[in-house]
Amino acid sequence: MKIYVLFDELGRHIEPGGDPEECPVEASPDRLVDGLKRGQEKLRTSSIDDLIGLCDAAGQAWTTPGSEAARMIGSLSIGFLPLWLRRANLEMLVAQAFRGNLKAIDEFVPSGGGNGRRHRAQPRGILVHWVAGNVPLLGMISLIQGLLSKNANLVKVSRQNAGILPYFLEALGKVRYKRPDGAEISGTLLTDAVRAVYMDREDPAATALSTLADVRIAWGGREAVESIMNLPRRFGTEDIVFGPKTSFVVVGADMLANLGEARRVASFVARDTVALGQRGCNSPHTVFVERGGTVTPEVFAGLISEELGRVARPVAPDTAPQEAFQILTWRAEYDMRGHAWYSEGVSWSVFYSEKDCGLASPCYGRTLFVRPVDNVFDVAAFCSVNTQTAGLATGERRLKLAEALTAKGIERCPDVGHMSLYEAPWDGMYPMDRMVRWVSA
Amino acid sequence: MVTIDELFRLAPYAAHPGEHYGLLRAAVREAVQHHCGRCPAFDRWYRKQGVDPSAEIRDLADVPFLPVSIFKRMSLESIGEQEVVRVLRSSATSSQSPSRVVLDRVTRDRQMRTLGVLLSALMGPARRPFVVLDAAAVQGADLELSARVAGLRGYLMMASETHYALENQSGSLSLNVEKLAALLEQFQAKQVPVCLIGYTYMLYQYVVAPLVRTGRRLPLPDGSMVLHFGGWKRLAKQAVDRERLNAEVAQVFPMAQTCVRDVYGFTEQLGLIYPDDGRGVRPTPVYSEVIVRDPITLKPVADGAPGLLEFITPLPNSYPGIALLLDDMGRIVSRDQGHDGRYGTRFEVLGRAQGAEIRGCGDTLPEEVYRVRA
Repeated sequence: MKIYVLFDELGRHIEPGGDPEECPVEASPDRLVDGLKRGQEKLRTSSIDDLIGLCDAAGQAWTTPGSEAARMIGSLSIGFLPLWLRRANLEMLVAQAFRGNLKAIDEFVPSGGGNGRRHRAQPRGILVHWVAGNVPLLGMISLIQGLLSKNANLVKVSRQNAGILPYFLEALGKVRYKRPDGAEISGTLLTDAVRAVYMDREDPAATALSTLADVRIAWGGREAVESIMNLPRRFGTEDIVFGPKTSFVVVGADMLANLGEARRVASFVARDTVALGQRGCNSPHTVFVERGGTVTPEVFAGLISEELGRVARPVAPDTAPQEAFQILTWRAEYDMRGHAWYSEGVSWSVFYSEKDCGLASPCYGRTLFVRPVDNVFDVAAFCSVNTQTAGLATGERRLKLAEALTAKGIERCPDVGHMSLYEAPWDGMYPMDRMVRWVSA
Repeated sequence: MVTIDELFRLAPYAAHPGEHYGLLRAAVREAVQHHCGRCPAFDRWYRKQGVDPSAEIRDLADVPFLPVSIFKRMSLESIGEQEVVRVLRSSATSSQSPSRVVLDRVTRDRQMRTLGVLLSALMGPARRPFVVLDAAAVQGADLELSARVAGLRGYLMMASETHYALENQSGSLSLNVEKLAALLEQFQAKQVPVCLIGYTYMLYQYVVAPLVRTGRRLPLPDGSMVLHFGGWKRLAKQAVDRERLNAEVAQVFPMAQTCVRDVYGFTEQLGLIYPDDGRGVRPTPVYSEVIVRDPITLKPVADGAPGLLEFITPLPNSYPGIALLLDDMGRIVSRDQGHDGRYGTRFEVLGRAQGAEIRGCGDTLPEEVYRVRA
């Protein structure tokens, strides 16, 4: 058994672009678990206010112009992370997850039944996170929720981007938060309850991690998630699965009444496409545009291309050669049978054909397929449990359309421009609620 | 098509690049004008690239290129229906749908002539016995076997006689070692060099591996050659690379490893073949040029750097397959005259372009998710 330790109580052992197999090796998870339990005990006895305060301090520090962490966040296009870590956001998220009272993770609070009974949330114990390599942001968000629910967190990172999470853990450990009473606490309060590891997919360590978990949290593609869920586990272990999903945008004709308004919507679509490098399950690949507006779906596709040209980086270094080849094939096809707008290299592409219908198979590389629909409600036919986010630009029909889409399987209907923002519920659940046991007294 | 015909009259590797490039550029320009005039979809695409089809070509790298997989998506034809003499379909082993290209007499004749010239340059002008490392495709043979045998039919123009080394018993292929040994002994006695030919994975799986296992060695007459083609994808899964294959071939058919030649080519530019020198390095003939492009910027890379392979030739008359980008990675090794005295841009094929390592939660879902339901 070979467990490569990327981050532990001694700090990080890997550079952001480093090779995880050059990190120190453990032959069993025992030492890691012992350290985690000690770290978790400190978390349990801390107040949620202190934990949120530390996250808030990190959010502030990581947006300080010129700071190393801010540069890293910029280079990874995860500017959302420090905003998400701010107090106002986290207090709302924690309160939502804990039945409206964030203190429920600290102590017994009235359960609201009018019978004097009290309830509280107890951490489940050890969370094992399997984090996908495509979006480092989501791994961090998963982990922070594990910490705010006062659990110990063992994070198995993927080989791709293995050094990113340890980098942010180190930065989190360096954060200082001054409490209202003047006492200063260190970010190590959080990071002592975290270990980041890597192991080969075939290594028996994967089974060891699975069987020690009180909660197994899996982010990733279908194959990865299925293989994690097929690992043996203890009876009573909770599973939280964030599997593969696809997302799209719906634009109503009422938002295309004039060129200025249409351009504003197009800029939001472009922003959602570029965020997370279009690799997230919440990244759009198809844009459904309702016919009947002053601006036609085809003209709107052209507007998106102009906006993508503004926001996409000139070179997309994360595009694999095979993806580039697929993009070129789509470009040639649409140049011949429809309309294609694209950058000089393969940094972005927009395709349109009057005859196209349904969800497009993702092509990645900041590629959008714009498809006309007669009525925005026609899009409901394309929704299923495999679809996650529908970014809406549909004016007053927004809630009614959200009813129709969510009834068919869509899980989020944010306004277009906000698709990349992580929020709760996510994939049909309040994740922190699943990381705790509800107990009463 | 005066210039194109003139180009195909040249000897394949004799001209210094500086001498024939002008002719190749002019021939490609002639081909571009031909296809733009006869294939509206191609014309539309070509003009979208901002290039005037009638403009002089200063650099072959400036010619707009199509990704080869476009022939899986679109039916692109530069001839009338009545001129079609054959429809070619590529194998669809690594993709869902095969390529489809139509041939007219002009294209077919150019293909056959070019292949003949290139095979003669490889093996000498005299025909020789061919031993096909497959079973004969008798009537009623399964589609895969029929497609394989059709794929090597062109090579058999150099055969004085054709034999098949494998036997097909109820769909299961096996090597009849004794039959092959007896056949090779006959040629050995007459000192007639032979050519063993077949798909790379068939050569290894059905011929070399069984002979290695049993320790059997089958001597070949001097001047014999082993030709294989079709790519390394299946053998890569068995951790068999060129070095190991060549070594084991040379072990079971005692011969110099340089007589084991891997032939690269593809359906969409049939007729043009790129045999290696036994070490994976291949020269381009005067009829085509290779360009290596950066997968992200799509610009040509410096010699030696890896990138996507593009091949440019005026050969196809019936479909616009003149400048095609492949999803194979490669690199240019040299543009100098080779040790064999031949000219041509020398390149290596590095394998199929890689996809994204991990897509995570944005992973591609099953195809049915994207199928529109009525």
